[in-house]
Order: sequence, then C-alpha cells, then structure tokens
Amino acid sequence: MTDFLAYGFIQRALITGALLGISCAVLAFFVVLRRMAFIGVGISHAALGGVALGVVLGVSPVLTATVFSVGVAWVIGWIAARGRISEDTAIGIFFPTAMALGVALISLSPTYRQDLMGYLFGNILSVRAADVWILAGLAAVSLGILALFFKEFLFLGVDEEAAKAAGLPAEPLRYLLLTVLAVTIVASMKLVGIVLVSAFLVIPAATGQAVARSTRGMLVVAVVSSLLSVVGGLWLSWLWNLPSGASIVLLAAALFFAAFLAGRWWLR
Amino acid sequence: MTAPPAVLVRDLNFSYHREAVLRGLTFTIQAGSFVALIGPNGAGKTTLLRVLLGLLRPGSGVVQVFGGLPGDRSRPIGYVPQRVRVPAGFPLSVAEVVLMGRYGKLGLLRRPKATDRAHAAEALVRVGMGEQGARRFGELSGGQQQRVLIARALAGEPRLLILDEPTAGLDPSARARFYSLVCDLQHSDGLTVLCASHDLELLSEHADTLILLDRDGITEGPPSVVLKSDALARAYAFPAPHDHPAIPTGVDRGATRPPLSPLHP
Repeated sequence: MTDFLAYGFIQRALITGALLGISCAVLAFFVVLRRMAFIGVGISHAALGGVALGVVLGVSPVLTATVFSVGVAWVIGWIAARGRISEDTAIGIFFPTAMALGVALISLSPTYRQDLMGYLFGNILSVRAADVWILAGLAAVSLGILALFFKEFLFLGVDEEAAKAAGLPAEPLRYLLLTVLAVTIVASMKLVGIVLVSAFLVIPAATGQAVARSTRGMLVVAVVSSLLSVVGGLWLSWLWNLPSGASIVLLAAALFFAAFLAGRWWLR
Repeated sequence: MTAPPAVLVRDLNFSYHREAVLRGLTFTIQAGSFVALIGPNGAGKTTLLRVLLGLLRPGSGVVQVFGGLPGDRSRPIGYVPQRVRVPAGFPLSVAEVVLMGRYGKLGLLRRPKATDRAHAAEALVRVGMGEQGARRFGELSGGQQQRVLIARALAGEPRLLILDEPTAGLDPSARARFYSLVCDLQHSDGLTVLCASHDLELLSEHADTLILLDRDGITEGPPSVVLKSDALARAYAFPAPHDHPAIPTGVDRGATRPPLSPLHP
C-alpha cells in the first residue's frame, strides 16, 4: 500500500477521484430522488459528441464536451417541461443522436481512437497536475451549488408543483441542477469514463438508501461508499492491472450489494 | 373599507394549446368559507386551481387572492396535491416533508431555523401525526400521507388552503376522516378552503358552497341546490337528480351559510 501511495500519478488520481467521488455521491442523492438516472445516461453518452466535436475543431475536448453536454441537458429539460414529449422520449432521441454525431465525427479523425478510449472508459491515472486543479475547481463549484440549494432541490425533487406554488423558482433551479449534472459528468469522464459515469451517479446513493434511516445518513453513506470505491478501485486497478474506471464501478457495485444485504437486517 | 374576498375571479379565460379550457368564469369565495369545486374529468378544475396558485397565467380576466395577485408570497396559499410520490425506500422523514411548508416563507438560500421547525412540529400535531415525525414518509398509508401534506400546507401559515383531489385512492373511512379534519381546521383557524374533488356526498356534508365546473361554465350555490340541479346531471351525464336517489343532497344548511358570491346573488 505504501508503494501504491508513493507515486505522483497515484496521488493525483486519488485527490481528483476523491473530489469527484464526493460530488457524484451528493449529486446521486438528487438523481435517485428525482428519478434522473436515465438522463444521467443520456447526458454522459451525449458527451461523446462533444468530445468528438473538440477533436474535429482542434479545441479542448473537455471544453466542447462541457458545452455540448450542458446544451443537451437543457434541451432535454426544455422539451420535457413543454409536456408534449416525455423526458424519457426526449432522452431517447438525444442520447443516440449525440452519440451518432460523435461516432461520425470520430471517423473523420482516425488517429484519435487511442485517446478516445480514455474518455469512453476513463483513465484517471493519466491525470496531470494542471488537471487536478481544474477538476478540483469543478467539483468544488458543483458541491457548493448542491450545498447552497440543498433545501430547494429537495423540495423540487419531492413535489415540484408545491415548490412552485410556494414561490420557489422551479424552472431556473431545474436548469441549474441539469447544468451541475452535465458538468459533473464531463468532469468525471477522466475518473470512470463516459460509459460508466452514469453508474457512479446512481450507485453511491442507492448504497446509502439501502442502509440509512434518514436522508442525512443516506448522504453520509453515499459519500463514504463513493470514497471507498475510488480509493479501493484505484488500489485494485494498480494491484491487478485493471482499468481504473471499471475497478471503481465494480467496487461501488459490490458495496451496494453488501449494503443491500446488510440493510435487510439493519432496517428491520 | 371591507376586507377583500379570499378569491375573486372575473371573466377568466384560459386555453391550453389554443383549446379553451376555462371560459369566462366569474365567482367569488368569501374568506372563511369551505368551497368544493366539482365537475367531471377534463372540466378544468386542476387548471383553475393552478391559475389560483399562480402556476398558470390567465389568458384574460381578473384573478385575485385576498386582493393581490396569485403567487404573491405575502399571501401564502397552502397547497395539498392529489399525491406525492417519493421513490420507494427513500429515507425522507415525515418531519422533513412538513418542514418544506416553510421553504416558501424562508426564500432562497436561507436555512430553516428552530422557529421553522417548531411551526412544522406544531402543524404535525394539529393533524394528529405529532408522534410520526421520524417515520419515513413513504411508509405511511395514503390517508396518513395526505394528513402530512395538510400539515406541510399549514406550516406555511396560509389563509387559503387549496386541495386538488386530495382523497383520490383513499378508502371511504379515510376520506371521511380527511374531510372532518379539513373542516375542523377551517373552523378553528378561520381558513378558507377550496377543494376540488369527486366526493359529492362527503363534500355536501362539509362544504358551504359547491362550484360545479363544466364545459358550459359554472353553477354555484349551497350543496342542497347544486346537487339537485340539472347542471349536475348534465355535467356527470346522470339521470335527472330527482330520479336518482344515489345522488346525495346533503344537509340543507343553506339558511345559515355565508352569502353567495355578490357576483352571483
């Protein structure tokens, strides 16, 4: 374990992973409450279109993925709010469309396929020192917004109509939450990759829900299990030479099943 | 200067996607009265309530709540929806749900204080759920959940309580207990109650006034009058009321009721 912690790239991966793990866990609380798991899948896969756009345009793929993902999240939210098409259907339209755009654009740049694997499945071990600051900043902003508007997001998640009737600005808050979701997804691409990030936005909260008796307890367990998944997943990845993203998600899933079984006894 | 009525609606029109839903509605609800809004599905009951809550903007006409615009936070309205669906197993407590009733008063970014928690706890006691604050909201029966939602509405210290089909899915005895509770709160707090529902029989026992809403407009009056009206038979496609013993006529308390809308004497 000492060897594991001695490497600079491991230290950077742990710091970044811990920050994003906490952000994802808190966000996952609202994803589960608002039943937004599918929109998480949609936005994360749409990010591929943004990454490909960046490659073709010759600008930072993270930047274009952020703009693209936020845009897709807002359009899905806007269409769903109009009420003529359900949110599920809107996601079902944009998710494959954005991915198809990504695949089409990537085909124009064949030399990029190697790096693309890092975005698809994550490679947190390749995080550079400069990335740590950017990702830490994004995680801090996401966490700050979630903490500041916690009571508002909670009310909207439970009963949007009553929250609106009470005078809360439901529409701007919904778009704010979608923005935080999209930005966190893009930031987490390095951690677990586009394909697996949606799992990280659900599993920690589900683990918390399985054993906690209160929302506060659920948040604490979600954050702790998320951190354990990141640290333990990275260690297993280093130990057995496994892809870091897959190791982290598999450990998160294992913790969920353990919590699920423990909860059947604990919450009786 | 006389106090404004709880609700004043004059010549209200509203359309969804160019389809007229509310056409030229005019009525007044006096403060402290219990008004039941009845009518077949699709008549526009929920739309009307959403306009009063400030969630929808009227196409034309005048809508006032205690003399102000709907949605004005200085005139809080307690809102009880048909149902609140929390994901199965989500550990949201009853106390947390009731505390949400204070969030409108608190405004953005301000955290609840001890006084807010005290208001929420008191509201829970008043609906007979004082001991249930720590329980998970999702574990409660439908009737208990609706009581909690009333407590949430009361926690905001409203003068007007708007209920949108609050007893849908409840068994008959839970429905009866629910309306008794609402009626008790109306009398003890001087609350104005506007309740949309299909519970004609129970509403006829508790409401001072029925407003029947259908595609032709509204028919307003004491339950004993509205429930015998041809308009009711037309709206629900019943046989004529005097031929149909199943249609309740309620207790005739018309003489002791507050006067009807001045716009509909």
